[in-house]
Parts: sequence; C-alpha cells; structure tokens
Amino acid sequence: MALKLSLRVKLALVSLVLLVLPWAGYRYVVEMERFLLGSQEQALLATAKAVATALHERPRLMRLSAPLRAPQPPPEPSPAVEAGASDLAAATEAEKPAPVETAVPIAVEIGHASEHGNGDKDLAELLRGAQRSQARLWVVNRELKILAVAGSLKPATAEAASPLRRALSWLIQPPAVDFDDAFDEDVLANGREVTAALLGAGASRVRNTADGRAVIVSAAYPIWAGDNVVGAVVAEETTNPILTVRNEALERLLVLTLTVFAAVAVVLLGFASRLSGRIRRLRDEAEGAIDASGRIGRLLTASKAGDEIGDLSRSFSTVLTRLAQHHTYLESLASRLSHELRTPVAVVRSSLENLRMEGVGEAAGVYVDRAEDGLNRLSRILSRMAEATRLEASLVTQERESYDLVRVVGDCVEGYRLAYPGQAFVLESAASPLKIGGSPDLIAQLLDKLVANAVDFSETGAPVRIEVAATAEGVRLCVANRGPRLPADMAGKLFESMVSVRPAAAGGEPHLGLGLYVARLIAEFHGGGIRAENLPAGDGVAIVVTLPYSP
Amino acid sequence: MAKTIAIVEDDPAIRANYADAFRRQGYDVVTFANRPEALAAFKVRLPNLAVIDIGLGDEPEGGFELCRALRGMSARLPILFLSARDSDFDIVSGLRLGADDYLTKDISLPHLLARIAALFRRVEALSEGPPEEEILERGPLRLDAKRFTVAWAGRPVELTLTEFWMVHTLAKFPGHVKDRDQLMRDAQLVVDEGTITSHIKRIRRKFQAVDGGFDQIDTVYGMGYRWKADGVET
Repeated sequence: MALKLSLRVKLALVSLVLLVLPWAGYRYVVEMERFLLGSQEQALLATAKAVATALHERPRLMRLSAPLRAPQPPPEPSPAVEAGASDLAAATEAEKPAPVETAVPIAVEIGHASEHGNGDKDLAELLRGAQRSQARLWVVNRELKILAVAGSLKPATAEAASPLRRALSWLIQPPAVDFDDAFDEDVLANGREVTAALLGAGASRVRNTADGRAVIVSAAYPIWAGDNVVGAVVAEETTNPILTVRNEALERLLVLTLTVFAAVAVVLLGFASRLSGRIRRLRDEAEGAIDASGRIGRLLTASKAGDEIGDLSRSFSTVLTRLAQHHTYLESLASRLSHELRTPVAVVRSSLENLRMEGVGEAAGVYVDRAEDGLNRLSRILSRMAEATRLEASLVTQERESYDLVRVVGDCVEGYRLAYPGQAFVLESAASPLKIGGSPDLIAQLLDKLVANAVDFSETGAPVRIEVAATAEGVRLCVANRGPRLPADMAGKLFESMVSVRPAAAGGEPHLGLGLYVARLIAEFHGGGIRAENLPAGDGVAIVVTLPYSP
Repeated sequence: MAKTIAIVEDDPAIRANYADAFRRQGYDVVTFANRPEALAAFKVRLPNLAVIDIGLGDEPEGGFELCRALRGMSARLPILFLSARDSDFDIVSGLRLGADDYLTKDISLPHLLARIAALFRRVEALSEGPPEEEILERGPLRLDAKRFTVAWAGRPVELTLTEFWMVHTLAKFPGHVKDRDQLMRDAQLVVDEGTITSHIKRIRRKFQAVDGGFDQIDTVYGMGYRWKADGVET
C-alpha cells in the first residue's frame, strides 16, 4: 500500500533538514573543546615549567626531601602513592578566583610534608606560591617519590545548577564534581609525562580518573640540577572548566537551534497549512461543481492569486465554464430541436389539412391519412423532447405545499386501474397521512412515469406492486414489476436524459429515455432521491424513490 | 360583409396555408410577415380578428409588442396567439398582454377554425345586447355558452376560450372526473398533459381572485379533475 502523506506532513519532514544545524553546531563545539584542551595542556606545561624553573639548581630542596608518604585524601581508601605536583590554573579558568578556602587542606598537606625538614617546607612554600584552585602541583624526585603536593582538583564550592541546566542534564552531562581524585602508582609509574620529564623533556597527558568520572590533564617538567634531572614538577587539572564552557556552549546552541527550529517549523507548518488548505478548497470546489449525476452545478470561483494554485484554479474555472456551456448546449438541444421542428411540422400539417379540405379522392385520402398519422407521431416525439426542459423550467417557479402522499398515490392507483385495464396493480400503503413537501401534481407525474415504465416491462399476468412505506429517513415509494433484470452497465445511467434500455420497437410509441429523467427531476425537487434495483429474487426491477418528510 | 382576419406570421408557407383555410370559410384575409408592416396596416384599418405569431423575423418578441399596440388601439378586438413556443412563461406573458387565447401550432386547422368562429360569436354576443342565451348554472357559477362569459357569485371571471371550455366541460357534470384527454378534446386543444395542469392552475387562480375561498375544482391524481358536486365537500 502506498504511503499517503499530506502536504503538511511532507513539508514537516523536509523541515527536519534543519536538524543539520544543531549537528553542525555540535561539531563546532567539539572542535572548540579540542582546541581548549590543547591550550590547557600548554598552559599546564607552562605552569610546570615555571615551578620547575624555580626549583632548578636547588638540589638541597630535592635532597632534603626525604621520601614522603603520599598524602592520602581522607575519604580515599587506596593510598595515593606519591607525586608532588601543585595545582596550576589552566588558561581557561582565569575568571575563577582562587578561593582562600582551597588553601586550607593544601596547607595541611603542606604542613604534613614540612615536618620532614626545611627543604620540604621551602618546597611547600614555593608550591603554595604557585598554586591555583582546582589544580594540583606535585614535585617528584627521580625515584618517583613525592616531595610535595599542593592544591586540589575539586572546586571549593559546588555551583548551583540552573533549572535549565538541570533539565538538560540528561542530554548534556554536567562535569562531575565528586570524582575520585586519588592517584595510584600507575599515575606516576606509567605516566608518560612523568617519565618524559625525568628523561629531561616537558610533556603532557590526558587521562581518566580512577573512577572514570572526570578527565585529568597533567603536564610534567623536569627539574634540573646541572645537567641532571633531579625530579619533575607535575601540574594536574581536570577538564571540568572546559566541560563547563563546552556545556554552556551546547546549552546555548540547543536553546538557539530549538528556538529557530520551532520558529521555522511554525512558519513552514503555517505555509503548508495555507497551501494545502487552498488546494483542498480547490478540490472541494472542483468536486462540488459536478454532482453525482455529472451535471455541472455551481461554477468554480477563479482565484486571483498569482501563484500556480491560482493558475490551476483559474484554468479549472475556465474548463468548467466551457464544459457547462457545452452541457447546456446538449441539454437544450432537445428542446431547441423540438422548437425548431415545430414550424415545419405545422407547415406539413396545415398543408395536409388544406389538401383534405380541397377534397381528395378515396384512393388519395389513404395517403393523407397515413401522412397525418406519421405527423402526429412526430408531434408527440417533439413534445416529449421538450417535456423535461419545460419541467425543469417550471420547477424553478413551482410552489411547494405539504400534502398527504398516501392519498395522492391511492388516487393515482385507482386511475391506473382504469387506464390500464389489462394490468393488475397491488397497492401496499402505510397508514394515511404521510406528509411530504412539494407538489402533488408533480408526484402524480412521477408516478405516471414509473407506472408506465413498470407496465411496459411487466410480465403478462404479473401485477405491478406499488408500495408506500414510512421509514426513519423519509417516505419510501417503490414501484416494482416482474420482468427482465436491469442491464448491469446501465444501473447508474437510467435516470439520465435520453437514456433508454428499451429495445427499439418498430412503429410503436417512441421512447426517448426521458421518463425516468423526469422522475428524477421531480424526486430531486422534493429533496429526495431515486434509484433502480433488481428485486431480491432477481425476477424483476424496483424503482425506489425516497422522499423526506415535510418539515 | 365578410369579416377580416389578419395573419401576422413570418413563415410564408404557414401564412399561406392558414390564409387559404380562412378564405375557404369565407373570411377576408390580410397577411403580414413582420411587425412594422402589420402595425402600419392596422393604423389604417383594423381587422376583425388578429392571429399573431410571437417570433416575427428578427424580433423574437415581436408578437408580444404587436399585441400590446393592438390592444391599445382596440379593447375588444379578438387577438389570438399562434406560436410554436409552448412554455408556461410564454403563455402567461401572452395572455397577460390581453390576448383572447394562446394556441400552439400543433392545433389542427378545423380546431383553429372553431376557435375563430367562437371568438367571433363572443364579440357579436357582447355587442348585440341581450341575445339568446345558453346558460349553465352550478351554484354560484353561471356559464353562458353562447357568449362565452363566466360569472362566479354574480361577478365576472375573465377566462380565455380554452379555459372557458375546460370549466364548461368540468361543470357540466359535477362530480364526474374528467381526465386529461377529455379536457383536451372538449377544449379543442392539442397540448401535452403537462400544460393541462398549468391551465387548471390558472383557472383556479382566476376564480380565487374573485372569491378567495374558491375550491370547486378538485384534482383526482392520476385521473383528472372534477367540479365538486353541490353539497359534496370532499
């Protein structure tokens, strides 16, 4: 089955292309993040280098640093082995003031370290001078023993998240605050940057914390004493500041693109609605212009819009107008023809009558009689041809009254019993009165046509049944006869002008196929409908007229 | 003195045929093919009766205009429309302009001649004072079959000849249903059945104009019409 999509849905789908905007924005943010990460590494390296520069050529400091037990952040069970590194601000966190509070735990650590000697104390003081918030500085010696540590990776205070940020947290992961900032042996032993630094070259590394909740950037720089590397300064920092910046960018991007998307969607939807509304209106008008029986009723009003739909509407309107003209021409053809033929018929008739008055012989009189017979038949055909048109014209001015259908049908059937002495009629009628609105004369005319039809098609001896029944929708008037079934291909056309299913009968009454057409016009005048159906037993035909009750 | 009949008809064959038939009956006949010609002649001398077609040459409504002008010249001149047009609209328009009757060209010559004779009789009867009468009375209805006049409760009802004959047929045997064929035959009318209904409607309306409560003509659907018998109110 073909998928049926409305224009609106299609345009909505097309507008999904707009989703490429947030994707492009996201790519940009990722690029920016990489760039920031690069600069953070550079900045950390610079910090490590600066601290290391202060420690160059001061072997005393390094020597005095007796192997120090790695400071253990109280909550962490696994001991951080060693490493001396001091926090150093990344370029990105310049806006964050170094809070005084951060100094407190650091001071404790430093104090702890300073118990071991003056060297340690000096080192600690040195580191304290260089420390920044959310960064950690370590100093290690060649044996990877931590000589001093300063700073913390965690922010002193957790920033209160805005409602928007909380709402978006499922989409944009906020930087973890309570990550595991302990470091294990691997950090030092396997740290490429520490190894590189101890070999004499500054280096940096990005690693995950032990619990994987945060990413730490660390940079190490060698401390020289003469030509020897005596230790290394390690500067560590989380990428949280970058994440924060990235998240802010993502949030703005999200809000912006959502807004733009919504705005564009609304505009597109509005446009599509208007467009499809116009097309629907055009379709409804076009469909409404031609009724079920193919007659052109109300014409299309040509749109004045300059676009293609306006064009379509105008050409529809033109087509329908031409069609209506042609239709009118065809419909009036019968009546015009009958009118035009009347004058020559009158010429023939008056000539024949004059001829008779002049006195024709016995033998010639026969031919005059035959000519008059033919002429009378011609006259009847002509008046029948005009009947439907005359009826249509008179329906316009016909007055409506409320009347009892049962009485009218009863009267009519009495009349038919006289008019068709050889034909039996069965009348099944609901109780009087059944009031309908319209014209009793016209309903009698309709019944005349249906009965004449039924009598013509009825099997000899079988009665014609006429039923009047009250139903919920209206009155059902049915004229049924036993006889041949309806030709299957004619069912819908029977009630059209000049359509007849009768076999051509030589010399008999002419049939122009206007009787049922007249019946339809009358049924429609009463606000009802007419249809033909085969009897359930298949041995005859019923014409069913439904008429609404009078209001 | 022979009466003069004017035929205004644009078809030469019909014109000649009618003229021959009328002459055979002893009438003088003058024929015209169009309105200006006829009007000019009528200004010189009025005929005793005019038979007019509606469409005259290139004037589709020429007959109507001619009738109006003619009625302006003489109030009592019998005017007969004889046209191929048989729509209710044309019939009503023609009769409203003061024509005495409206016939279609389907009518046979003998019928037409009978009409013309009847019209002349009516004119004579009206002009000659109290003549012999042939009166048919049914309750308030009084029909004079010699002068073709109808009165309801003493007030005259203006009927055309066709209508007169229809009323006459119905009222002659009150309570009897006259079907359309009978009406057509008695009214010497060749029209299709649909126009009988319009004729009956017009007759009812004319009586109702005189007496709003008129309800004497009964429709028997499927059969025809009847004049209600006195005292039988169905």
